[in-house]
Amino acid sequence: METLKAVYINEIFKISKKKKFFLALIFSFFSVIVAAIAVYFLNNFAGIRITGSSDFSIMVLSVLSYTLFPLFIAFICIDMFVGEFVDQTIKLTLTCPAPRFKVFLGKILAIASFIMTNLFFVMVSSLLVSIFVSSSMPNLIKVFLAYIMEFFPLFVFALMVVLISNIAKGTTSAFMFTIFIFLVFNGLGFVFPYFKSLFFTSSFDWYTLFLGSYINSSKIIRLFLILLGYSIMLFTAGYYLFEKKDI
Amino acid sequence: MDKAIVIENLSKTYKNDRGIQDINLEVERGEIFGFLGPNGAGKSTAMKIMVGLMKADKGDVWINGYSVTKDYEQAMKNVGSIIENVVPFSYLTAYDNMKLSGRFNSQIDEGIIDNCLEITGLIKYKNEKVKNYSLGMKQRLGLAMAILSKPNILILDEPFNGLDIQGMVEMRELIINLSAQENTTFFISSHLIHDIELTCNKVGILYNGKLLGVDSTKNILKNYSSLENYYLSEVDLNGDS
Repeated sequence: METLKAVYINEIFKISKKKKFFLALIFSFFSVIVAAIAVYFLNNFAGIRITGSSDFSIMVLSVLSYTLFPLFIAFICIDMFVGEFVDQTIKLTLTCPAPRFKVFLGKILAIASFIMTNLFFVMVSSLLVSIFVSSSMPNLIKVFLAYIMEFFPLFVFALMVVLISNIAKGTTSAFMFTIFIFLVFNGLGFVFPYFKSLFFTSSFDWYTLFLGSYINSSKIIRLFLILLGYSIMLFTAGYYLFEKKDI
Repeated sequence: MDKAIVIENLSKTYKNDRGIQDINLEVERGEIFGFLGPNGAGKSTAMKIMVGLMKADKGDVWINGYSVTKDYEQAMKNVGSIIENVVPFSYLTAYDNMKLSGRFNSQIDEGIIDNCLEITGLIKYKNEKVKNYSLGMKQRLGLAMAILSKPNILILDEPFNGLDIQGMVEMRELIINLSAQENTTFFISSHLIHDIELTCNKVGILYNGKLLGVDSTKNILKNYSSLENYYLSEVDLNGDS
């Protein structure tokens, strides 16, 4: 357990020292500000009611979950796996007295922490900004629930990028392949709506299932099991390739 | 005598048919073992397998009595290593890089990190980002990280690479002192015969992936005028077999 803790802290420490981490937070914050300005002007000057303050954080989440969140997750995952193999810094990580499974798990836990931090940061900043958009109080429980639920599909996406990062030979190819898979999954979901729920990218908005007055528990369970299945398969395949890699 | 490293039937073949074949070797505790061979002989391959960076096709390595393939964590607990060129995290300072290694041992504090940086002559640059370091400085940092947890075995692949003359002399003195004072076992690879002769008390010749001979430096120098002559004679006699 001590070894896993050391690997996890090291990975968190490395992420926190990367410029990409701060860029992710800065871009997330600015996107919240831009959204707030757009909503404020449309609500007050264009005569179009876009959203109230209670929905502003959810609206931000619905936009970022298909744009900036996956983008920054891809950057961080690619850096932590194929990036370290390419620049050979992985040698330092792998020659520490930690077996590869603990190194892999430590990295995955650090990525999960990054996703949570990014979601939390956007949730707090969107809640603060929403005060200026409207005078009514946001529904905190609803917002909190939506952001917590969003973690799961984003984490599955991260595991997919990790798998790609263990297949690709370079950072650019890993990034391009990730974008390709992301677009293909979204495209297939659009073309074959009947099978949409089988593609995990269509679950990026599954938090909406928890927000309505009627909770469709059978759909929630079905989607949860699909996401869980993806998690197990992607984690196992990613670890298998990571374990097999010769430096 | 207590065996620090045992290599049994170690084999690894690459797609181009090069690699290492059936290497068997034992290194006693406190020895400074020199792995000598030309470029491409398989030294780095053997050492990468020893520290778990690569998987062997056949055979195993036992470090401090633990199998590297079956019990990696225990095997590597008291091992420090430098494999090929040292590549620290360039966006971190030397101190931050040291902290990454130090987290695996709860006894390591700032004082110990500073001491290792002092020994390797990097204390002045401890808060400087590694991206500004020269090759030699990175090599020194690698050594500082390797000795941080006071390991009883140090596996150093081409440790003299990138070092200037003074750096080489200091590295040699450090190795000999650690072996004498702390009974640290060294497994060093190099293609520089002179450095191996001056540093190691036991030498193994690796040629075309095969271990041609192992003997103490004392014996070698008793029977041959230099290590170079021993090397050439071993390669002549057994190199093509």
